[in-house]
Amino acid sequence: MKRYQLIITMLIAGMLFSCHKLDIKPKSILTSDVIFGGEGGIDAYMADIYRKLPIEDFTYRPGGRDGQSGFNLHHEWEHFWHSSAVTGESVGPYGGMDIGGGFGYWPYAEIRAVNNLMQELPKNSANFTDTRIKELTGEAYFCRAYFYFAMAKRYGGVPIIKTVQNYPEQSIEELQVHRDKEQDVWTFIGDDLDKAFELMPATSPRGRANKYAAAALKSRAMLYAGSIAKYGSVNFVAGEARTQGFVGIPATAANGFFTKAWDAAKLVEGHYSLYQKDADKVKNYADAFLDQTSPENILVRDYSIASNTAHSWDATFSPRYMTADGDSRSYPTLDFVQKFITLPITNADGTPRRFDKLEDLMAGLEPRLLATVYFPGASLRGYQFDTQRGLYTSFTGTAAAEVAKPADQRTNRKVSADENTLYEGKRISGITGIKPNGSPDKTTRTGFYVRKYIDYNRPQNQCGLFQSTQSWIELRYAEVLLNRAEAAAELGNTEDATTCINLLRTRAGATIAGSVSTNDVRLERNKELAFENHYWWDLKRWRTADIVLDNSKFRGLMPYYVFNEGKYIFLNEPEIYERNYFFDKKYYYEPIPGGELGKNPNLFPNNPNY
Amino acid sequence: MKKIMSRILLGASLLAISACTKIDNYPEPNASFEGRLIDKTTGQNFLTSTNSMQVKLEQISWSDTPTPQEIPSKIDGTFKDSKLFKGKYRVTPKGGAFWPILTPLEVNIDQGTKQDFELTPYLVIKNFTHTLTDNRDLILTFTIDAPIGAGMPRVSDVQPYINTTKFVGSDASIKEYSSDLKVTVDKEWNDMSPADKSFTITVPALLSGRIFFVRVGARVNDSYKSVNYSEIVEIKVP
Repeated sequence: MKRYQLIITMLIAGMLFSCHKLDIKPKSILTSDVIFGGEGGIDAYMADIYRKLPIEDFTYRPGGRDGQSGFNLHHEWEHFWHSSAVTGESVGPYGGMDIGGGFGYWPYAEIRAVNNLMQELPKNSANFTDTRIKELTGEAYFCRAYFYFAMAKRYGGVPIIKTVQNYPEQSIEELQVHRDKEQDVWTFIGDDLDKAFELMPATSPRGRANKYAAAALKSRAMLYAGSIAKYGSVNFVAGEARTQGFVGIPATAANGFFTKAWDAAKLVEGHYSLYQKDADKVKNYADAFLDQTSPENILVRDYSIASNTAHSWDATFSPRYMTADGDSRSYPTLDFVQKFITLPITNADGTPRRFDKLEDLMAGLEPRLLATVYFPGASLRGYQFDTQRGLYTSFTGTAAAEVAKPADQRTNRKVSADENTLYEGKRISGITGIKPNGSPDKTTRTGFYVRKYIDYNRPQNQCGLFQSTQSWIELRYAEVLLNRAEAAAELGNTEDATTCINLLRTRAGATIAGSVSTNDVRLERNKELAFENHYWWDLKRWRTADIVLDNSKFRGLMPYYVFNEGKYIFLNEPEIYERNYFFDKKYYYEPIPGGELGKNPNLFPNNPNY
Repeated sequence: MKKIMSRILLGASLLAISACTKIDNYPEPNASFEGRLIDKTTGQNFLTSTNSMQVKLEQISWSDTPTPQEIPSKIDGTFKDSKLFKGKYRVTPKGGAFWPILTPLEVNIDQGTKQDFELTPYLVIKNFTHTLTDNRDLILTFTIDAPIGAGMPRVSDVQPYINTTKFVGSDASIKEYSSDLKVTVDKEWNDMSPADKSFTITVPALLSGRIFFVRVGARVNDSYKSVNYSEIVEIKVP
């Protein structure tokens, strides 16, 4: 009884003396005077802005995660939720066009932070040299352009906010801004990047942008705008937002944007170069994505275990057999591989070509292809990709006739969900796949695995989740060359386009092209930038997604062991899940996020067909 | 003390129970809206498939910028939703292969509201014939016609749609017998000669002993890239 009285007394006493001193400065928040007081504060502020830059790196999840944004996800390891896995570059966990509507990216808080930087810097001129203020302002322009670029490619026209907004100092009506026209947003991005180029230094610390990063991003952004103008005016979705110019750019503006793209790409020339350190062209191309000192890298993002930012690329793009943890779920398609070459798997008479060993198929293929994709028979960390779809006791007839048969009539074929099932002492399916539909989803569905960015020197026991630390290369010179080549081809400058493409093809170990068309440049881009989150946006800006992804299904390369001959054959068959991909034309733009429409009726009309 | 404690508890639980007694006094969604989507050229229901046409509703009596909702059309070209809030709606059929409705209708939706819509298809399939040969190849012939030629979106492609159930259409068909046999047209309507508008498609070697439901369709590159279908025919393969 006494105890209660005591507790109550103490509670009342506590109430009287609590809330005494709340007005003390929190130690965990950087205040304006600290941030703009010197380099230390600015570094911390910039670090936060860079961390939030819409860089579609390893951890980027194009459909978002559980209603959250797809950028900067905490504890994200399932990197196989990759944009390549809805486009046919690979097939993966998505059931269809699951990323079409985006995740409501709306980075105005980040843009406010950048605008704040631009406004506050001149007020603190006592703490920085004039040069430094210029440089930092340039960096702010670069970052702002980056945020607007990520929105423009999703939504078309969005409100352009150039100054810090304040509430409640400004009224709600004043803060309910209107959308700007798509063309104006792209022009604004170009202008910001021009200012960034003018103000920024030529070199920068690792992970931060310099003036050439601004030029490189400009070449990308202006190329996007040019193709949206040119192709979006032919293949479009009608609607009020289009009538009012919030989506879509007049075709007449295309060449202006292409010229800007070409000019910006040209600025980078001579300051960066393609990675060509190793005479072995396969190794060289693989190392281009791993060597931290590559002269090709214009802007990178670093990761480390110590800072808790390590990613899981190695653990989630190779089979568990070769890693320490995790599973793979996204695999390059045969359709992608056949962009390089029609694989020599069939004889002239239509019968499947016989191979002594799996790896014999790789002989003579383009080095860049072999460094982008792990073929059946390739090796990683001392293991071989023993990829095998099944076993034929004997095989007669043509490949086409065999593949056309219903599964139950392929009587000589044996398949197994368990790699330890043997036929007369021979494995039926490989440890690294390929298992029939219905087996656990962790080995290849197409015969291939992604090789790009795989750190092949990393010991197996360090290939677990959150243990990979290879840098993400956000801007690399190869892309700048492709941007320039595409702009040149669009502008009719075939000679320059051919020169750029041949630089890439030489490095890739491919044959030199005589003269290239716009389509050739696009194909080269598909090959060079595969699995780097470009293809999805490329299909969208070329307005070809509704043709490429029109109830499309993708194919795999299925290796079989022919028992009575002791040889391997490869059949071109549908990928194991036979998934269907259909791009609804409304996905050329994402819908303006519903929550924002609810807060601000001036954002209407929403994009067409939403 | 125990008494005090239990009284406090009782009081607290009474408060907890009696909170939120305000009843939702908004009437339940008991209005309904139904009708037919009619092909203006034939007077019959519009030939469609599942997951193709919708009727878009915007409740303008609720908000100036309403969130649109959609009633999907059934495969027979009718639509019905019996769980709508009573009110004034802006109503627009959309998604199908027909000329867009530029002036949407405003309808007061209440219990049992009915409204039909007349739609003009982009393309009409005519003279559709089918022949099954002795080696089970199915030969389909048809021509396409446009009720309104001027201002037509570019003609994309034609293809057969074959399925084992009568729900046959672009998202319910056997790939090998359907989209693999797509014929790309990619021409402006006005540039097409009569020969360009006439098609013969051979579906090779249908499986014997099965029943297939077959139709053909044509698409133009409008906002939806929907399909103008023929009637469905049933093919028994011996």
